[in-house]
Amino acid sequence: MWVLRGLRKGILTTGYPGKGLAPDEVPRSSFPPTPSADADWAKGGGLCPTGAIQGERVDAGRCVYCRRCKDAGFRFEGPAPGPMASERAALARRVLGRSLHVLVLDVGSCNGCNMEVLNLANPYYDFNRLGIFFTNTPKHADVLLAVGALNKAMVETLKRTYESMPEPKFVVAAGACAMSGGVFKDTDGFASPLGDAVPVDVEIPGCPPTPLQLLDGLLLIGGRRRAP
Amino acid sequence: MIRRFVERGPARAEGPVQPSASFSAGGRHLSILTDTDRGRTILCEAQPEERPWQRAPPGSPLELEHGGQVGGYGTFSFQYGPVAYGVQEAGAFKLATYGERVVKAVPIVNYKKRGIEGRVAGMKPEDALLLLERSAGHFSASYSTCFCTAVEDALGLDVPSRVLWDRAVAVELERIYNHVHVFAREAEAASQNVAASQANALGERVLRLNAKYFGHRYLFGFGGVGTSSADLGTQGRRRELLAGARAVAGEFAGLMDGLLSSRIFLDRLQGTARLSKEDATRLGAVGPAARGSGVEADDRHVYPAEPYHDIFVSLETEREGDSLARLTVRAREVQSSAMVLQELLDRMPPSGGVGSRGDGGEDFAICRTEGPSGDLIMALGLDGQGRLAFLHVRPSSAANWIPFAISLEGSVFTDFQFAYESFGLSFADSDG
Amino acid sequence: MSPDALLFVLLAYLSAALLACFSRRLGYALGAAASAAAASLSLYVLLGGGGTELPLQVGVELSLNRFDAYFLLVSSLVWLGTCVYSMDYDDDYPAALSPLFLLTILSMTVILVAGDAVSFLMAWETMTIASFFMILQGRGRREDVRRAAFLFLAFGEASTVLIMVSFAAMYASLGSFQFLGAGVGRVVGAYAPIAFLAALLGFGLKMGLVPFHVSEWLPIAHSNAPSNASAVLSSTLTLMGVYGFMNVMSRLAPYQLWWGWLALSIGGVSALLGASFASTSEHFKGLPAYSTIENNGLILVALGVYLLAARYQLSLMADVALVAAMYHAFSHAVSKASLFSVMGWLSKVRRSFDLNAAARGTAPGPMRATAMAAVLSLAAAPPFAGFVSEWMVLEVLFQSFKFPDVASQLIGTVVGALVALATGIVTVAMTKAYGFGVLLSGKGEGSPALRGSGWYFLSLVTGLGVAAPLVFFLAADAASGVLGGQVFGTFVTGLLGVPAYFVILSGRPFGGFSPTFTAIFMLGMLAVPLAVARVGGAWRPRRVAGWFAGAARPSDEGEMYNSFGYSSPFRIMLRLLFRTRESVLRAGAARATGEYFVDVRIVDVFRRFYDISAKWALALSRETGRYVMPGRMGRYLAYIMLAMMFVLAYILLVAG
Ligand code: SF4
Ligand code: SF4
Repeated sequence: MWVLRGLRKGILTTGYPGKGLAPDEVPRSSFPPTPSADADWAKGGGLCPTGAIQGERVDAGRCVYCRRCKDAGFRFEGPAPGPMASERAALARRVLGRSLHVLVLDVGSCNGCNMEVLNLANPYYDFNRLGIFFTNTPKHADVLLAVGALNKAMVETLKRTYESMPEPKFVVAAGACAMSGGVFKDTDGFASPLGDAVPVDVEIPGCPPTPLQLLDGLLLIGGRRRAP
Repeated sequence: MIRRFVERGPARAEGPVQPSASFSAGGRHLSILTDTDRGRTILCEAQPEERPWQRAPPGSPLELEHGGQVGGYGTFSFQYGPVAYGVQEAGAFKLATYGERVVKAVPIVNYKKRGIEGRVAGMKPEDALLLLERSAGHFSASYSTCFCTAVEDALGLDVPSRVLWDRAVAVELERIYNHVHVFAREAEAASQNVAASQANALGERVLRLNAKYFGHRYLFGFGGVGTSSADLGTQGRRRELLAGARAVAGEFAGLMDGLLSSRIFLDRLQGTARLSKEDATRLGAVGPAARGSGVEADDRHVYPAEPYHDIFVSLETEREGDSLARLTVRAREVQSSAMVLQELLDRMPPSGGVGSRGDGGEDFAICRTEGPSGDLIMALGLDGQGRLAFLHVRPSSAANWIPFAISLEGSVFTDFQFAYESFGLSFADSDG
Repeated sequence: MSPDALLFVLLAYLSAALLACFSRRLGYALGAAASAAAASLSLYVLLGGGGTELPLQVGVELSLNRFDAYFLLVSSLVWLGTCVYSMDYDDDYPAALSPLFLLTILSMTVILVAGDAVSFLMAWETMTIASFFMILQGRGRREDVRRAAFLFLAFGEASTVLIMVSFAAMYASLGSFQFLGAGVGRVVGAYAPIAFLAALLGFGLKMGLVPFHVSEWLPIAHSNAPSNASAVLSSTLTLMGVYGFMNVMSRLAPYQLWWGWLALSIGGVSALLGASFASTSEHFKGLPAYSTIENNGLILVALGVYLLAARYQLSLMADVALVAAMYHAFSHAVSKASLFSVMGWLSKVRRSFDLNAAARGTAPGPMRATAMAAVLSLAAAPPFAGFVSEWMVLEVLFQSFKFPDVASQLIGTVVGALVALATGIVTVAMTKAYGFGVLLSGKGEGSPALRGSGWYFLSLVTGLGVAAPLVFFLAADAASGVLGGQVFGTFVTGLLGVPAYFVILSGRPFGGFSPTFTAIFMLGMLAVPLAVARVGGAWRPRRVAGWFAGAARPSDEGEMYNSFGYSSPFRIMLRLLFRTRESVLRAGAARATGEYFVDVRIVDVFRRFYDISAKWALALSRETGRYVMPGRMGRYLAYIMLAMMFVLAYILLVAG
């Protein structure tokens, strides 16, 4: 019966990354602030709550997409900021082939990132078709996908988890919180950006990054996509 | 969204009141008491009634209510988390057992205690809002609504009705996607994979509606003190949103019929993690967890402020108090939220104009909002410059930890996930 | 072959027992040597060296035919290891233990070589009484030990009486007591069912079968009997039951259908109950003792299939079933003795029989390896012997559809399900025994004798699986002398490139399986990647800390999964069987406050039966005591012995 119900729904899954995106698939929560011609950088820097606007540059790792800076002449339009990867990540293909086992580790997130990570499994994104799977133990994981602002209480756990993973291993820091602490960077519980605790291979900006951005970031490992 | 309910109560409250939160502000110990019967929230000065989620240092067990050792041949306890599939968050449980059966469960909290309350003290409300709506990302509309309303109240600001209605729309959308998400997780735990992915797909559709009409999949940033940036200006857009939401609710009803007639699924839920009405009342459970046990607690009913004061919200309760009851409540609330959305969107007041008037600014306010997992309370004070003097948050998860732990006693391990998800608990929510 | 060899073995055991009165180490050493001699002798007979007879002047005769030799081979291989093990195990038990131990072995040898019913019974009685005294040497509360030993004796006597009934029925039909040696015709008519039933009950008592097993498991499991005694009792004393039962079976004709049904049912229920209680036992020796019930149940199931198949003239099936029984008896005896030796050693050094107690003692490496092989074999994991025999038992049960009548089909199928279930459940028991008993105890140094016995048992358990075709050959050959016409070649063959004799066929057309080649294949699967990894340089072992869901390693034992918890799912799932009662007491009035005290109990049907029969037996003894001898157990025993001897002598004279 459930099979029938399933079939009746037709195909929802995005053609991405093979095909381009249909307009309603464009991720919405993270349009990056784009300076217009008359953007006032100094004013933007004053408005920005996370210090993402520095000089004449927007630091994607800090931006939480609050759209405050629109008063300083920044517009919000696509494309979503792409992930950033270290050199090493692209080399993973030789050792990992086309399958990735991902351990999701919450080191202090607000659950927004967790929700988006879980959404990778929904039929719209269906990450299993790309050979990506969740695993529950670091001993089976190729990739540590960390979300949230690294909390002081989680530093030990993070390191322990990283240690327990077999080589070769890769770390993905997803979301502004993991990359820089986001809005929490000055709270008491915040320890450090993820990269200060373990070597990070891929960074995915966003607050939270949409499932497509996460997918993009994961595909960078093994060089299945190029960094933009 | 709920205003004008604070009564300065006597130091010793009369009648059946339930302590909901206590905190210190300006060197005074204050307690928030709830009198559900008469729809009152009472603030009184009292001895600090210790609430464990306030004090527990990071990574420590939340043992206040039901401390004590577990003994007997063959018993042992072990920690589940903070990296555990069933929890999916930086949180853990200490489970005492003799194998298979949970004798006692103790939530281990504050693995992600960020210290938001401390951080926002001295901040401008609009800056604090950024942190608060990221306190628990999946409850962000409730947080921002609760916080903004409290600030407006404290400032004595006149807020356009339209803003209040926008917020209510956001809160109802948030309720729908969270309830749907709970179902997806439960179906997944019961290996009902088709149902799980269909529920997930419905959840995704709501997230896309959120993004389209509120600018963010998780409704971050649409609200502000006295303002809302929701894009519901035209009748046409409101109709579209309503059509989208109703379609989701309709399909969800179909999915529900299938799921709730599946023996496999029901078996996992029926009788699982039963919370009696007495325990729910005594321990102060909130939200669907309380309503599943027959407690008629819903802020939209008890403190009906604009726009809920003239919109019909059906109060969904169940008697059994098990996971199935909590889930049934959620399922019906998806439908009732869709109906509420219909009224909200059909009768949405024009922008501009003034809705509720503020109290006249006492620099202090308490606000309660019914989030997806229940009653969220914020108490805040402002200083002379309009900055936050203090903020106290009593999230719904904090109220539900102990009821959850108690209900889990006597369950078997495989029930854990069914119980946990049905309460809609979140460590991010309680760890603030 | 000259009877001297047999006489030599018997005398060697006797002198070992005598020597042990002065030096236990020497006694055990001589016992080991005698066992080696016995093993060689029986192998010689089995390989075609001809039977050997030892006529004694008093009208009894001792003879070693192939059937006897098979069981002697099994037993003496076990004794050899156990004697070596005892040299260092038995250093703080009362001095009487070692002579009694060797006397028990001697009497078992005599049972196997007894040519007539009378000498069989005399040896049987000696065995019972020697084991009784051996159990009396156990540790624990004096009263408990006595009670257990007494019960063992009471049921031992019941067993003897039933066996005597069986033999009497056979005598009435055959007119001779010489029916244990070479064939002397078959018991027919109304005597046959009596002989069968009495033998099933009498020997069943010794095999520890449900519902009459208490005589075996109780002292072994609960009275803290010395572990070397436990090993010998659990593996070879129950083997004597199998031997005796098969011997009687071989003299009966034609088989009746209900015999097979009865054997199947008793066997199936025993297997399931034994496995279930093994999996929930928290006792170092109770667990293997319950598993003995399971295994003897399996043997009886195989014999039940044999009875039916022989009756229906399904000759291939009968052959497979019979050999399965004999092979399983072999594999169980060896694996169980191995397991008992390790568990016994560990409970001794840990000073606790509780699997949940904090681990303190260690066992030497070879013993740990032995335990691993033994639990794998008992859990029926390939390529070990236990797997081969359980495979065969299940295969013949799956062929119940070949039985021509519905009742047999039905019983065969139901018992098949019981056995399959038991096989699954016992896996839990075995992983538990190894995990919480052996693994947590850690590795330590050991004396040469302990290490030696470890190596010895290890090679025996592994060798038995690999060399399965050889054992089949011996077993089929041995059985053919007694139970008639089996030909080894009917169920072993070559297939798919596996050479002749290396594939067992369980039916035609049905399953086939080659233990030897499975072993080789599995070894290859393990060795080849390892070798490739080592040679290819991919061998880079890395040690990481254990994973505790992201938390730090728990610091105290109360935070680790324990043995009780490991089997609690069974207590909860099979609550109907165990009649589990779980209660959680909370101190303090409010439900949510105060201390928690947990009490989980299961109703042990075995224990229940024991309690009832103990009451019954004690009442009986009080009654007899009042008339016969006031109070003292020693005299009561002497009385029983005398009475027995008297009866036997009388029979001897009349029949002689
Ligand atoms: S954080 Fe907000 S203000 Fe800063 S750059 Fe991003 S969108 Fe603009
Ligand atoms: S990046 Fe944004 S969504 Fe993700 S955890 Fe941080 S605050 Fe939450």
